[in-house]
Amino acid sequence: MNVDAWAAWALIVGLGLGAFFTRAVFVLPGRHLRLPATAERVLRYAPAAALMAIIAPDLALVHGTLSLSIDNPKLVAGLVAFALAAGTRSILATIAGGMVVLLLMR
Amino acid sequence: MQYEKISGLRDGALATIPLLVGIVPWGIVAGVAMVAAGLSKLQAAAMGVIVFAGSAQLAVLPLLIAKAPLWVMYATGLAVNLRYVIYSAVLAPHFERLSWAWRALLSYITVDQTFAMLVAKHSPDDSAGGKHWFFLGGSLVMWSAWQISSLIGIFAGALIPQEWSLEFAATLSLIAILMPLLFDRALVCAALAAGGVSLATATWPFNTGLLAAIAAGVAAGLTVARFRHSLNNGKTA
Repeated sequence: MNVDAWAAWALIVGLGLGAFFTRAVFVLPGRHLRLPATAERVLRYAPAAALMAIIAPDLALVHGTLSLSIDNPKLVAGLVAFALAAGTRSILATIAGGMVVLLLMR
Repeated sequence: MQYEKISGLRDGALATIPLLVGIVPWGIVAGVAMVAAGLSKLQAAAMGVIVFAGSAQLAVLPLLIAKAPLWVMYATGLAVNLRYVIYSAVLAPHFERLSWAWRALLSYITVDQTFAMLVAKHSPDDSAGGKHWFFLGGSLVMWSAWQISSLIGIFAGALIPQEWSLEFAATLSLIAILMPLLFDRALVCAALAAGGVSLATATWPFNTGLLAAIAAGVAAGLTVARFRHSLNNGKTA
């Protein structure tokens, strides 16, 4: 499963520029810029929304169709991972628990 | 000055060490998942150094597997990284007296944990000379831990059979990253709306539904926050 080399490097460099830009946008210009309050409110919700928008299709879609069934291993594993993340706040427990459920259900 | 430098670096490094319990497994998973998603070992290692943003790195991997177009992956990475814009605004007054090169270095190396550490210890107007050394000391520990644990994952990941579906670990780690962000009802609603819309728009071309989902999530969060705000105002009035 190899990714086209050009696309992979373009992804890495582009993401790197984006990661640097978001971290430098106020630190580099110094005291000249301030973050408007409206922008701050929008920025508050974007990361959580983006993460969930990636997680949900990976759990609930099987070959492009919605599968909200207990026979969908990724959905069950993901729900277990959500419970573990809420209960333990441990990255390790969340990932290990989810992987164990996925592999047991296959 | 020399004393400030050494004690700052040392205090920063020491303050970060307990956080390694969290970052090392995460780095290993990122390493494994990058290779499982189809990146070469060199590309995966370069990604850790060039991007150095774990959530963004992990967030694009499911999209890379789904063969999403580059611009959708850029937009997604940017959305996940938008929290850094807030950090940058908060850190700017702390670092405004430093040289341009220092500010560029400290921008590149900022992560959630070191940001929280600096803000907890120093106020923006305190002119404590060593704060950039303190920040750098902590950041260097985090940076090295991330690169080393990623490399461990990259080499281990190449040995693990594909039937284990270890690329799923990327999605699981996003769940672990998401959960602590959901600290009020508006944020939970933002996440639920984004999740629902991402499922409803999954057939949109070029994964553009993902961007619609993020926009819907932000709109839902703002709406719920405004509603609760006016409700609270009504109570106190």
